Amino acid sequence: MALEDYRSDMEMCCRCSICKFVPLEKLKEIQHSYVCPSIARYNFHTYAGGGRMGMGIAMLEKELEYDGKLLEVVYNCQMCGACDISCKYAMDMEVLEPINEIRIKCVEDGHTVPALDGVINSLRKQGTMVPGAKARRGEWAKGLDVKDITRQKAKVIYHAGCRVCYDEDMWRVAKATVTLLHKAGIDVGIAGENESCCGGRAYQMGYKEELLNQAKQNMELIKKSGAEILVTGCADCYCAFKVLYDKFGLKDDLEVLHTTEYLARLIKEGKLKPTKKVETKVTYHDPCHLGRLGEPYIHWEGKPVPGHIRIFGPPKEFRRGTYGIYEPPRDVLKSVPGLELVEMDRIKEYAWCCGAGGGVKETNPEFARWTARERIDEAESTGAEAIVTACPGCERNFKDTIKENGSSLKVYDVVELLEKAT
Amino acid sequence: MTLKREIYKALEDVVGPENISEAPLILGSYAQRTRPRFEAVTLPQNTGEVQAIVRLCNRFKVQFKASSSGWGAYGDAGGPGVVKLDLRRMNRILEINEKNMYAVVEPYVIYAQLQAELMKRGLNCNITGAGSNCSALPLAAHQGIGHLSVSGSYGERNQLALEWVTPDGEIVRLGSLGSLGQWWCGDGPGPSLRGIIRGNVMPLGGLGVYTKAAQKVYHWPGPSTFAIEGVSPHYNPSQIPPGFMIRYVSFPSSDKLSQAAHKVGASEIGFILMGFNPAMMASNMATNNNEDRAYFKQFTDLVQGPGFLIIMAGNSPSDTEYKKKVLQQIMDEYSGKSLEPVEDPKNAGGFMWRFIRVTSSIREVARASGIFAGQVGGTDVFYLMHQYILRSSPLKERLINEGRLLADGTDPFVQLVEHGHAGHGELLIRFNKQDPEAMKAPAEVGMFANKTAIEGHFGVPGHVWGDAAHDQYGPHTSNYHLWLRKIKKTYDPNAASEATNYITVND
Repeated sequence: MALEDYRSDMEMCCRCSICKFVPLEKLKEIQHSYVCPSIARYNFHTYAGGGRMGMGIAMLEKELEYDGKLLEVVYNCQMCGACDISCKYAMDMEVLEPINEIRIKCVEDGHTVPALDGVINSLRKQGTMVPGAKARRGEWAKGLDVKDITRQKAKVIYHAGCRVCYDEDMWRVAKATVTLLHKAGIDVGIAGENESCCGGRAYQMGYKEELLNQAKQNMELIKKSGAEILVTGCADCYCAFKVLYDKFGLKDDLEVLHTTEYLARLIKEGKLKPTKKVETKVTYHDPCHLGRLGEPYIHWEGKPVPGHIRIFGPPKEFRRGTYGIYEPPRDVLKSVPGLELVEMDRIKEYAWCCGAGGGVKETNPEFARWTARERIDEAESTGAEAIVTACPGCERNFKDTIKENGSSLKVYDVVELLEKAT
Repeated sequence: MTLKREIYKALEDVVGPENISEAPLILGSYAQRTRPRFEAVTLPQNTGEVQAIVRLCNRFKVQFKASSSGWGAYGDAGGPGVVKLDLRRMNRILEINEKNMYAVVEPYVIYAQLQAELMKRGLNCNITGAGSNCSALPLAAHQGIGHLSVSGSYGERNQLALEWVTPDGEIVRLGSLGSLGQWWCGDGPGPSLRGIIRGNVMPLGGLGVYTKAAQKVYHWPGPSTFAIEGVSPHYNPSQIPPGFMIRYVSFPSSDKLSQAAHKVGASEIGFILMGFNPAMMASNMATNNNEDRAYFKQFTDLVQGPGFLIIMAGNSPSDTEYKKKVLQQIMDEYSGKSLEPVEDPKNAGGFMWRFIRVTSSIREVARASGIFAGQVGGTDVFYLMHQYILRSSPLKERLINEGRLLADGTDPFVQLVEHGHAGHGELLIRFNKQDPEAMKAPAEVGMFANKTAIEGHFGVPGHVWGDAAHDQYGPHTSNYHLWLRKIKKTYDPNAASEATNYITVND
């Protein structure tokens, strides 16, 4: 698919602006009623999902020259998909897909931004989106008695992801995950220094070829390992393996689970028994790529049925965020004795983004922190002592923002709290 | 045309460099529907900035145009040489006065936000039928008639005090605001000018900028929030609030529908009454176009003729019982038949909340093809408006039979305002915008609607704006167009307020 293939979707936009707000049925107060960080921060309609539809059409019509402003608008978007979900409450049209295709077109036409070029160079050379040497990728697992799936067979492969591997602060989450899986008797292995970036974030940035290269490389390694299940604690990786690899026909029959899905399953099966009290009040932040964007890909090929209503043959089922991963992380948290879970106003399919996605943390860290600040304020308003998430990208951005702006709010991964209780 | 640097710099000094743009990309996104582009887009944050922009436009002889939520194309540029004021940074609810039952908002508060805040306080507001995604300013655009108008009136009647930046840059405070600094009355003590600043369907951006306004709000007998379960788009309330009931009632004929609706109004049992046809009910419920088609067929097969949606909200158990009995009596008297899927408890709560929050107007009008048009009636005696709008049904039927419109039924929708004190009706058409023959249909419907209105003495409908339409209607309606031009000329001596969708001074 290319931008041109989404022309009719973009032309469906009626400029109603629901892409700017949480689904209106769910709106409970004026505070926290916006859903798109980009339009909330920059205000010109162009930054909203609807404005981006107009931009896509204008690009196809060659009405726009590539210039700094165009790239500034294109990349000041976390690709969080909130606009897509709010729009699809009412409309049958793709929104996030064409927004992504705009980025792909920019890259294909050779118009990129330096900050992302640097990240992509690292991906090409070292197989990581986070600065670091390939040889150091497996260091987080030192001291853990865990199988190396490049040498030993294991049913489950744990993919740590770039952020975890090269951010020492995140190592404890990966270690806790492996420890919990071992406790549950799971035959799990890792790829260590042979693990490579999933490519998902590169795709969000518009680097489609890089995604495909990473996908082929990763799937070859996984096939060789004989693993049947891939587990990851990173929402971006989860979305890449489960959704994007499937989209491009590269997933095969690999079962992809987020750690919270797997852990919730193991708790339900009685293989993990959280018994120790963790007395704290927390709120859960839904990572975009685990939540609304984590639902399965739906393959469809067809064409519009001629007539006055936009229907397709065969019928097209749109991804609307309905089947994202919302309950497993909550189920895990609810299983922790003594823990009180309170909800923010914007949750699940209409959660406010952490701010780090889509390359924004790399291209515009101020905007990434502004977005996180909004979420931290929202979390604080619940009275929670901590914001808990299920993605190292979200965790990193929250922590960086709290460090800079100050807050007594603690930041945890779901896995850390489960480990304390188990 | 590019703004002279001097003008751009002056505007930039008002709003700051981050809040003005003339980048083609930014301007293009404000010209998606109507191709003329603005020369620059500004994002004022308060009345002072609006006033400064307006004064600069007067000084430099460029035009300006403001809009808020911007669904209506009225806010788009009518031609070159216009500076846009996008009011989205003016987004505060300034006051909710529970005791005196009014709310004061800036232009970019949307109805969903206002209603949510009101419900927490046991209050509710009328919401324009275009949806709760639209500006809650009671005079943002058009008439402000909506689903709740049977019990919650409409924009013109709900509007209280107002702050207005006139086309030449004065700040005028109307109603009680002008004399007492308070918001509770639109017509005094102090200047009123309600007829001037509103007109029949608002000046649609052509007579300065409305920066703050108060509106009357109403008693809300429901919960502070609807507890909605499920994930988009499959939302449903966990329960129907006590005292609330929804029905879609169809009748053997339009006459019976009209008489039954009149009785509902007279007995004041309706919280919402909308004479939707099965197509709009289907679109409201369906989460996609395929479902829409299926529900439309199902509902069409189940109804006996034209119908209305009614939601009743009891204030006490006995009030609820009374309303139920009255509705049943009306249904018996006029052979009304309830549409079962609407009263089915599985669907009823969802229907109810979508209509109360007015979330599905986009589904009803835009999802089919991304474009819609039609005939918009005025606000007058219910029976008169019903008859007016009904006369276009045969034309729609012909256009459907010619394959130029979506076959979604030919019943127009009609509604009561203020329990039947007035009424309103519209005829929606939806069509494929890639089909050249279909694209001619709106003009045909418009011409027929105008001919019908003028020859049948139905008054000035709601779809009348712009020079050509006013010039067509004026001579048949006390030459109001001449007065409208005088108003425009008097208040806008420099013709600074871009008025393509209002009226221009082309004597």
